[in-house]
Amino acid sequence: MRTLCIATCALALVMSLCACPSAAYAQEDNTIVVDGSTTVGPIAKAFAEYYMERHPEVNITVSESGSGNGAKSLLNGACDVADMSRFMKESEFKAAADNGIMPVAHVVALDGIAVIVHPSNPVKGLTVEQVRDIYTGKITNWRQVGGPDKDIVVASRDTNSGTYETFETMVMNKQKMAAGTEYYGSNGAVHKKVSNTTTAIGYVGLGFLDRKVKGLEVNGVFPSPETVKSGRYPIARPLFMFTNGYPKMGTHLYAFVTLYLSPEGQEIIETIQFVPVTSYAAGGSATAKKE
Amino acid sequence: MRQPAPHDSSAPLQKKRSLSLSEKASRLKRLASLAVRGLLFVITAMSAIAVLFIVVFILKDALPFFRLRGVAEFFESVRWYPSGDPPEFGALALFVGSGLVTLGAIVVAVPLGVIASLCLSDLLPFTLRQIVKPIIEVLAAIPSVAYGFFALIVFAPLLQDKGGHILSVAAWVVGLPLVATAAFVLSDLAAARLPAAAQRAARAVALIALSALGVWGLMHLAGACTRLEIASGTNALNVSIVLGIMALPTIVSVSEDALQAVGRELREGSYALGATRAETLVKVVIPAARSGIFAAIILGVMRALGETMVVWMASGNAAKIPAPWYNLTKPVRTLTATIAGDMGEAEHVVGAARYHVLFALALCLLIFALIANLASEWIVRRARARLRGR
Amino acid sequence: MRLGTRKMLDKAFSGLGVVSILLLAAALLVILGPMIVRGSRAFVFHATVEHRRLMLEKFNRGKRSAVEAEIAEAAAARQPVYDMIAAFEQELKGMSVAERRNYRDTFEELKDALRELLGPFPDEKRPLVTREQYGETRWDGAKTKLHRVLNIETYDYGDGTELGTLVLVPRVNDFKGTSLEPLFGYLQKHTCDMLRPRLTFYWRFLFDTSYDAHFFGGIWAEMLGTIYLAIGAMLFAVPFGVISAIYLAEYAGEGRAISLLRSFISTLAGVPSIVFGLFGLAFFINTIGVSSSKSVLAGSLTLALLILPTVIRASEEAIRAVPQTYREAALSLGASRLWTTLTVVLPAALPGILTGIVISMGRAAGETAPIIFTAAVSVGRPLKVWQTLTQPTPALPWNIYNLATEHEAVDEIQHVQYGMVLTLILVVLALNVTAIILRARLSKKLRG
Repeated sequence: MRTLCIATCALALVMSLCACPSAAYAQEDNTIVVDGSTTVGPIAKAFAEYYMERHPEVNITVSESGSGNGAKSLLNGACDVADMSRFMKESEFKAAADNGIMPVAHVVALDGIAVIVHPSNPVKGLTVEQVRDIYTGKITNWRQVGGPDKDIVVASRDTNSGTYETFETMVMNKQKMAAGTEYYGSNGAVHKKVSNTTTAIGYVGLGFLDRKVKGLEVNGVFPSPETVKSGRYPIARPLFMFTNGYPKMGTHLYAFVTLYLSPEGQEIIETIQFVPVTSYAAGGSATAKKE
Repeated sequence: MRQPAPHDSSAPLQKKRSLSLSEKASRLKRLASLAVRGLLFVITAMSAIAVLFIVVFILKDALPFFRLRGVAEFFESVRWYPSGDPPEFGALALFVGSGLVTLGAIVVAVPLGVIASLCLSDLLPFTLRQIVKPIIEVLAAIPSVAYGFFALIVFAPLLQDKGGHILSVAAWVVGLPLVATAAFVLSDLAAARLPAAAQRAARAVALIALSALGVWGLMHLAGACTRLEIASGTNALNVSIVLGIMALPTIVSVSEDALQAVGRELREGSYALGATRAETLVKVVIPAARSGIFAAIILGVMRALGETMVVWMASGNAAKIPAPWYNLTKPVRTLTATIAGDMGEAEHVVGAARYHVLFALALCLLIFALIANLASEWIVRRARARLRGR
Repeated sequence: MRLGTRKMLDKAFSGLGVVSILLLAAALLVILGPMIVRGSRAFVFHATVEHRRLMLEKFNRGKRSAVEAEIAEAAAARQPVYDMIAAFEQELKGMSVAERRNYRDTFEELKDALRELLGPFPDEKRPLVTREQYGETRWDGAKTKLHRVLNIETYDYGDGTELGTLVLVPRVNDFKGTSLEPLFGYLQKHTCDMLRPRLTFYWRFLFDTSYDAHFFGGIWAEMLGTIYLAIGAMLFAVPFGVISAIYLAEYAGEGRAISLLRSFISTLAGVPSIVFGLFGLAFFINTIGVSSSKSVLAGSLTLALLILPTVIRASEEAIRAVPQTYREAALSLGASRLWTTLTVVLPAALPGILTGIVISMGRAAGETAPIIFTAAVSVGRPLKVWQTLTQPTPALPWNIYNLATEHEAVDEIQHVQYGMVLTLILVVLALNVTAIILRARLSKKLRG
């Protein structure tokens, strides 16, 4: 019995030590903790993988617990980079200053919020007012917007989310959502809900628009990287990564956070369906409001 | 030869009078053992104090919320908009949501669990019991996130696409034996009043009439179920069923212990008086074990109430009391899912109602759990005292 | 009631009992069945040449010469496809602007679908994102992707008052009369040659790190994280738990203070798991600051609190179960209380204590709510032992939740989701079975 215990503990230790044999390294510069938005998450994860492949000694961990949690982690010094799909609020800046943190925003990409329905839904497009009425509960049946006679299942992001905040600001005009709205914790969950429910409506970032859901035209404009680039799509917003001050030049953090400026970074961003910052048309009418 | 000191056999064995040669050494040894005892007590106290720490911390961060927003809105309003402008913190819908799924879980788990525990303790032969016990233990061991995964990925689409059919099949499966049994018993009772000659015929007629009535009722019920359109598979029904399955092992094992504890004498006495096994179990054993079964139910309630992952993934998270309150096919939002989901957004600005309201929710959960725990302990202790006093 | 009715009721009751047991077994089957069946597809599946290429390039696995020969054969089978595409592009150049616009969208869709199936075109630059560097690695996925190449999914909405119905239009209709027309027939006939599926037992799924957010590779980071958390929880809970159990079983009387302590400990058992998570975040990370951010250490401490009551209860029972004769014999030989406990009682109770510990480890491994805010991240490298003090880690329970809800391509990685769930269930069940075997040996030992 005793030998069994000792053997098990030894085995566990040996297994963990064998995981990747390499020498000890300085903790500080070689770990980057990224936390925050589920919209920016795919970008952060793709960047992390790209960077870790070229710098095996660096460990980048990515959490996706929502823009608000990312901000909170940054303020507490718990993360190095906060992904946020909205700008920081005034109260967050104040709290940061109180904690001695100076948040600096890096706009890594542009995104549009697409309103999605199930592909079998015949409705082609809605106006912003119609979307607002659906979410506030004034419109409850697809029949009222030219679709089949079925009750609308309304899916929204949790209040945790920057996507939710942007939607609230740009579409809802700060009106409150209907009581029966179902809340989901991530873009992926809303996407899954809408792709499985024929009568559902939801909103996700552009990167989550694929064959399993149908994007609706909003005010006549279809959500796509091109329409966001040209500024025609009305619900567009920048995606941020916040750091504590500007990262010291030459550190891994600096290289990671400025990856979006390089051609490789922009190619990665385009691959996952977002809009690189530099391709946004000048004079575009749909610049996202800050708050 | 020196005589050994007379040993007083009535003295308790704990008296540490070690066989040492000097007074001083024995005093040292006594001090040492006292120190050891003290150290052990301190460590045990630390383990126990943990729960006090938890209560104090949750309380500490929950009270500011009530100071900021008062108590009325929290418990009476259904408008839950913590990030709204102006924010509203009406948690009534959350309480109702938690209560609804717990109630649903109990409705699923208690009949099934109590009958299964009866079966395990009295009806099954030893070999079958050795097969069934592992099934219960495996059900208990499956992690809650696996149940949540099942509820979201497998069960929700099933409910959405074929929910009505599943419910009607369940109605038939549960209803048909019940109808048959009820018809039999009622026809028997009715015909008992009549004179012996007409009894057989009357019984047959009553049986046919009642079963026809029952089957007709079932058909209507099943038809209504089939017509039911479940718009969204992530709803209270989904969560209730899965929570019921999660609470089952707790209820079964604790009830079984209670039933075993009743002892052979009561059972044998009842059999000696000519009761059938069913009558013994229902009329003698269950009432004797009822406090243990009640404690089991309370433990099951605590399990269902405190579960987070299943409700977070599969309840729909809509902070709304369903239109008729028993309409389980609508999404609901529970206390636990709100804490897990909103924890991220809460700005860690001390004084923000949004951060403290989550601790207020946790405080309510904690208080429910404490009360339920104390109640079940008190019931078990009282039952044990009663048994001992007998 | 007549005797006959009573007998019938008795039989009905027995039937009811049997039905309830059957329902329990059915519930277990319904829950575990899909997990086992679909989860095993993460380990045993038909792998294409793309999978072997991935193994060779990213993990340096497989005989280089054999794999490269296979890649060359597959490339030879694919060459006609690329030739036909090139020929069509030449054709496009010769068309008018209007005609070109006609073909543009559907041609792009076709090329995208081909890239998903076969990987990047031979003349294209190597993509930066890993998921685009390879074609489809699983045969069942390949069949779906081939379907998407060959057919366009559209919805027929009728007059717009009803939900649309799915209509599959063969893509070949869009390219009738062009040089791409034979492409589709060729694809259908030669899919096996282009992808070369072979039944593979990918047991390394457990030990490989994942690439590109679980698109490829395995779940080692999560496995290791779960192992660290379970062992860490045990390291903190066992000393406190066993010592408290010794005190309660051996030294404590029946006074008010002791019963108060006992009720505190059983109250701890009833606290909901999300409250532990909140407490862990508020106390261990924000107040004491065992680590500046999430870390395995904070998560282990929180989990230790969770399993403490179970450890105490199981240890206390085991210690009480040791016959009093052991203690009396030791005392009669002149041993002190402590010495008796350490050298006689504990070793005799060890199997029972170990059983409790192993079951608690299983519980700690499977819990999610305590680690959401204290230890778990979605993506990260497998940690080395000294890093666990300060760094968070992916863990099986949290990543199951993450992959089921948040991931951006939920359908591509369905086998990974089920594989993770199956792994977690198997790990917990293995721990429980170990505990049961220990318990069986315990009862034999003490009786014998």
